[in-house]
Amino acid sequence: MSITRRLTFLLLASVVIMGQGIDINGYVRNYLGVLTDGNYDYAINQNTLDLRFNHTAGNVAFYANPYLYQYPQQEMELGLRETYMDIYFDNMDLRIGKQQIIWGKADGVFITDIVSPKDLNEFLLRDFDEIRMGVTSLKADYYRGEQTLELVWIPTFTPTIMPDASSIWSRVPSFTLPVVIDDSRIEVPARLKNSEGFIKYSGMSSLLDFEVMAGIMWDDDPTLHITPIMEGEDPLPAALQLTPEHHRLTLAGGSFSSEWNGIIFRAEGAYYQGKKFMANNNTGLPTDLLEKDYLHYLIGTDLSVGSTWLSFQFIQRAIFNYKDVIVDDRLDNTVTFLANRTYLKDTLTLQLFGYVGLNHQDALIRPSLTYDFADGFEILAGANIFTGDADSSDPGLFGYYADNDMVYVKVKYSF
Amino acid sequence: MKSITTFITISILTGFIFAGEITGSEVIRKVYDRPTGEDMTANLTMVIENSRGNQRVREIKQYIKDFGDVEKKIMFFQAPADVKNTAFMNWSYDEASKSDDQWIYLPALKKVKRISSDSRSDYFMGSDFTYDDLGDRHPDEDLHKLLREEKVDGIDTYVVESIPKDKDYMYSRTITWVVKASWIGLRKEFYDEDGELLKILTVNEQKTFGDVVVLTNVKMENVQKNQLTVMKLKDVKINTGIPDNIFTERIMKRGMKK
Repeated sequence: MSITRRLTFLLLASVVIMGQGIDINGYVRNYLGVLTDGNYDYAINQNTLDLRFNHTAGNVAFYANPYLYQYPQQEMELGLRETYMDIYFDNMDLRIGKQQIIWGKADGVFITDIVSPKDLNEFLLRDFDEIRMGVTSLKADYYRGEQTLELVWIPTFTPTIMPDASSIWSRVPSFTLPVVIDDSRIEVPARLKNSEGFIKYSGMSSLLDFEVMAGIMWDDDPTLHITPIMEGEDPLPAALQLTPEHHRLTLAGGSFSSEWNGIIFRAEGAYYQGKKFMANNNTGLPTDLLEKDYLHYLIGTDLSVGSTWLSFQFIQRAIFNYKDVIVDDRLDNTVTFLANRTYLKDTLTLQLFGYVGLNHQDALIRPSLTYDFADGFEILAGANIFTGDADSSDPGLFGYYADNDMVYVKVKYSF
Repeated sequence: MKSITTFITISILTGFIFAGEITGSEVIRKVYDRPTGEDMTANLTMVIENSRGNQRVREIKQYIKDFGDVEKKIMFFQAPADVKNTAFMNWSYDEASKSDDQWIYLPALKKVKRISSDSRSDYFMGSDFTYDDLGDRHPDEDLHKLLREEKVDGIDTYVVESIPKDKDYMYSRTITWVVKASWIGLRKEFYDEDGELLKILTVNEQKTFGDVVVLTNVKMENVQKNQLTVMKLKDVKINTGIPDNIFTERIMKRGMKK
């Protein structure tokens, strides 16, 4: 079915179900971004229609969130961010279908929040509900007082979506040799033994909110297996074959948040077992893989100073039994900060958010100004400023995009 | 012996002279201890009007339950559309020294976040009410003085001045007109840190449910900025037996079933 027909069907279905007592809300949005380099290319020119249908009848409910991204001179993208059914019992809820599952206490960082895969088509710049993808799963929550036991079964693995090779957000490792991509092992076959499973125990109290979790999963980011291609008698490889492949990971972790003297303290951490890290061989090519465990953790705080709300987080990834040949750093340190203040009776919001990579002195700084013209109607003007050295051999997560500084405007009407 | 007799006589006379009179602290304590029922459900509408007369409307469904030493409140935002399904939960403690616990559920983030209750001076959803204005301020947080007795529209009231013990509090003082017959605060004036009149709260409507009086229409007017907020309660239900387990993360995320 063509996109136009799908869209027509969606709109007709909306009209029909409005008469069935089903709540419909959502938003339309225009999003225009311009790169601030010499050519002022458009980084994005997107119209969005996002619909949310929901209906509750007694102890059952359903929710569906279709969305449409329309770009000039490009094919429209129509998808279902979520579509699921709920069944409510006295002390238990079941949710079946495609759903976003969000865990942890971190903001903008994925440590124990790894159940839903990510859509990184625009790096980390999309709104968080657009970065996190729904994943088809069965989720059961059992409640006892303020405590919850949550079990998640994901029958089929869904990987992180990476940008197209033509995208300005595409990130391809640079090699001195020509590369050949072999996608033959990228798929994880859809079979029962390839399921993912997660468990979380959480609680809420006056003193402390906490989560303890564990999971058996596939690494959302594929490992790059690199094989030298030899030709003739030449002892040096003529090219490299890159074979991306997802591998199993197990993890256990937790998080908490608490308030003391008006300040929120948060922490989150997870121990990942069995991650494959790229390592250099004796000729300096990263053709080896070393399996190591690592700890990924965060400490953070939220506080108000006057009428300004501030948040800081320190994030570290530490690789255990580290070897110098591993391409990644043994310790990778990042800081995030957020300052937010509202004016004019909450109609004008000034915000500054940023990630700072301490290992590479790179950063992503995101100032923005939002004005609510009327109830549900807002205009947001902002900038994405990347600092670092894009031409460096190791520019860091944000420095790699140092040529992608942009300003943007989003006009959004919610209904 | 004589001195003891004199002391007893003075004590008795003093007690006799002031019997039946009341102090400012006692008035405010009676307002604080006024019956509010075991629980309450209501639809709250806030009409926020700026100095140019432009209005914005906020709609909230709220549930409140008294658990004895803690009062729990959960609010579900219904309108405007961009905040729909946002939920806010507050646990407020009788113990004056214990600050509230607060959480917010943002549908876009799909998680419940603990937030600081230190923002009592912040304005609630862009209205002219601060979070503290909406809560039950504990009488022990202020020093109270009965200024006078006064008739307001034919109603007998006590006029009480309250000065915060915390010198950094957002108001330098408040003056409350308390109805003698019902211990309802009929009018309240808020003075800023410079001692200038900042806001006036007036009760436009109240309804009685058994022994519980609910203020169903109140207006907060900021006289310095010439703007106001009218807060109306509709569909008020008292003592319906709200289950204990709705004040949880589960219900913040899910909302109340229809």
